[in-house]
Amino acid sequence: MMKNKYSFIALIIFLFVGPFLFPNATIAEMLIFGIVAISTNIMLGYTGMLSFGQALFFGTSAYISGLMLLGGFPLFLAIPVATFGSFIISLFIGYFCVKREGLYFICLTFAFNQMFYFIAYVWHDVTGGEDGLVGVERPAYIDTQLTFYIFTAIMFLFAVIALYKIVTSPLGLIFKLIRENASRAEAIGYNVRFYKLISFSIASTFTGLAGSLYVLIHSMVPIDQIHWLKSGDIIFMTLFGGVGSFLGPLIGVVGYIWLSDTFSIIWARWPLIMGVIFAIVVLYFRGGVSELLENLFKKYKSISKKTEHEQNIKNRKLN
Amino acid sequence: MNKILKIENLTKNFGSISAVSNVNLEVEEGTIHSVIGPNGAGKSTFFNMISGVIPPSNGSVHYKDKDITGFESYKLPHMGIAKCFQITNVFPKLTVRENVWASIFSCSHKSKIDLFKSMNDFKTIDKDTENIISDVGLSHKIDDKAEELSHGQQRMLEMAITLGAKPDLLLLDEPTQGLAPEATVEMTELIRKLSKNYTILLIEHKMHIVMEISKIITVLNFGEKIEEGTPKQIKNSKKVQDAYLGRK
Repeated sequence: MMKNKYSFIALIIFLFVGPFLFPNATIAEMLIFGIVAISTNIMLGYTGMLSFGQALFFGTSAYISGLMLLGGFPLFLAIPVATFGSFIISLFIGYFCVKREGLYFICLTFAFNQMFYFIAYVWHDVTGGEDGLVGVERPAYIDTQLTFYIFTAIMFLFAVIALYKIVTSPLGLIFKLIRENASRAEAIGYNVRFYKLISFSIASTFTGLAGSLYVLIHSMVPIDQIHWLKSGDIIFMTLFGGVGSFLGPLIGVVGYIWLSDTFSIIWARWPLIMGVIFAIVVLYFRGGVSELLENLFKKYKSISKKTEHEQNIKNRKLN
Repeated sequence: MNKILKIENLTKNFGSISAVSNVNLEVEEGTIHSVIGPNGAGKSTFFNMISGVIPPSNGSVHYKDKDITGFESYKLPHMGIAKCFQITNVFPKLTVRENVWASIFSCSHKSKIDLFKSMNDFKTIDKDTENIISDVGLSHKIDDKAEELSHGQQRMLEMAITLGAKPDLLLLDEPTQGLAPEATVEMTELIRKLSKNYTILLIEHKMHIVMEISKIITVLNFGEKIEEGTPKQIKNSKKVQDAYLGRK
């Protein structure tokens, strides 16, 4: 409980300090992908399901939101419709995917992702095909960088609170039961396939919410936002931050976006460096950066406790 | 006495091999009914068919006069049937409290809305969790992770998870498997204590336990029922002696 309290204080500080540390578009992107990574962790870290299809929901929702805005619909209708669209698609796709486990589940999510990618690719009249969906304009009330950031931060906080409520509810516990021992969860009365579908849908719906906001950053939807490589990025960010804690994936997102922005300026072959970093994290820091920070904090605390104890003994001897 | 469980002609074929063949069995309410047999007798297959893990090839299972043949295993706890596994089967990274809490919640939550409430809103479940954990003697380990418990304690936790469903019928698959002698005595005592409140179908290969606590014993050999009766009758049965000594 204490750990979460500190994490949330750090999060609030980050929301205030972030715009001074990063360019506005970058910090908004970090919050949007923060929603994606934290919600993906519901499925990956809490339920133990690795999906390579989250870009499907992100991209589809971005297209729906973008098309609605281009059609003159208000943003406050475009976001719920796009998010609800992701929810419905996730139920349909999830129904088939959760019939299989492990590698087969991954393959199915990957296959559906690519199916949607090719639909977006060939349906040029609607999606803009290879050029992406362009010309989407932000409404006047979020036209400035500051108002857009405030809007994104509010949506981010709403998503984080809703997701936190889920992981601390009985539903969150059921997800953990499935991750730990699915057959035992079934034996005590939980319909594992149903709850896997719920987990899949929650992750995908919130990913959809993030997609519906993404279109506002650069006023366009590039086609690579629905490509499976984007699904890979989402997995990378989540694992990099750490699946063992609720807010850990956000650290992964901030680190990934900052590193990729920095390296891409220095060297054109920057994904190579990201690959090396990913390999190191997977090999030596299975809990991601969040676990590494947690361990360092624990070590610091135990050292300072030890020093304090030694100082007390010294003082007593002097007296 | 009421027959809580009726099994008729239960059969399981794997290709041309018959693992269980036409087994009939009736379990009286409020008793311990044991199923024994040498290795490979088909006890576990028989257990898995009753508990919904594998569907039978033929035959039927009736619980309280309702046909539950081939029901998915997650439906059974909601009907009052709970099972304890042969291999220790807990949720290792979760605490003892969470392990049992989840089991109680499964059968006691009333609507899907409960899934989204705060876990602090279920005071009755909290209390029941502590009582069950106390019954199996794990109160001092309540906030420890299941993986940190000894094997014997994990078996007790396994039993606590099973009891969390508040069942009428307990299916126990070799609950003393892998336990040290002292822990076996504890587990036997626990089963005896539980028989006052529950009907128990026990699959067990330790003869002295079965003879000590069962009211009726069914003996399987090569997938077939070869004998049924009281412990005394089974002890004196030539068919059973032949089966265990490998005589034809």
